[in-house]
Amino acid sequence: MDISESKDFIVSTSSLKEVRMFSREVFEKINIPQEQKDELVLAIAEAAQNIVKHGYKGIENTTDKMQIKISLNNNELEIGFFDKGKEVVPGNVQHRKLDDIKPGGLGTFFIKQIMDAAVFKKDQKGWVNHLVLSKKI
Amino acid sequence: MTYKVTEEGNISTVFLNGEIDMDVIEQAKEVILPLIDAGKEVHLNLKDVSYMDSSGISVLIESHQKALELNSKVVVKEVSKSVLKVIMMAKLEQILNLE
Repeated sequence: MDISESKDFIVSTSSLKEVRMFSREVFEKINIPQEQKDELVLAIAEAAQNIVKHGYKGIENTTDKMQIKISLNNNELEIGFFDKGKEVVPGNVQHRKLDDIKPGGLGTFFIKQIMDAAVFKKDQKGWVNHLVLSKKI
Repeated sequence: MTYKVTEEGNISTVFLNGEIDMDVIEQAKEVILPLIDAGKEVHLNLKDVSYMDSSGISVLIESHQKALELNSKVVVKEVSKSVLKVIMMAKLEQILNLE
């Protein structure tokens, strides 16, 4: 079954629940184990959180939107994130070392654990950043 | 997220409920950290937490470390399956006091 669904969200922590709801609704249509669906929802939520937390650091009450697009084509799941926050320098996106126990720095680690690839693309039109998470399912 | 706190001797048990993400972590910290500051042993009951992301994990780490600094402890109890998976993904099952 092929899928392509997208939705815009206000860039805000209060949108994260809505992001999860959207993701869960899309994954309901895909026949994969619930455990894998939960992992994918976590990866999507972490990426959305990174936009709010880092892309819009120091910017409160923005009316900007971010767009999330979930596509499934021949068992290749691709999740696109578009935002107009600060431009991401891909080399600066790193998680903390796991043995350096301290709060923070785990979201990107979770994404890398769950997904096959996370790539920033330069093909965005009207957006600043375009992150693509992909996974064979 | 909702919560309930019960007291028994020097132990405060915080029953968290719902989904814990970046949007609610300040609320969670406002409940948990003052109890640790007050010298309580804090038990976090997570049986009704259906979802936790890296922000929630940060609250667990911060609470654990703050308690250690004050020679107290935080015990994480009745962790739901979905939250346990995230704790294990962060390789924290040997660090946090899980019961």
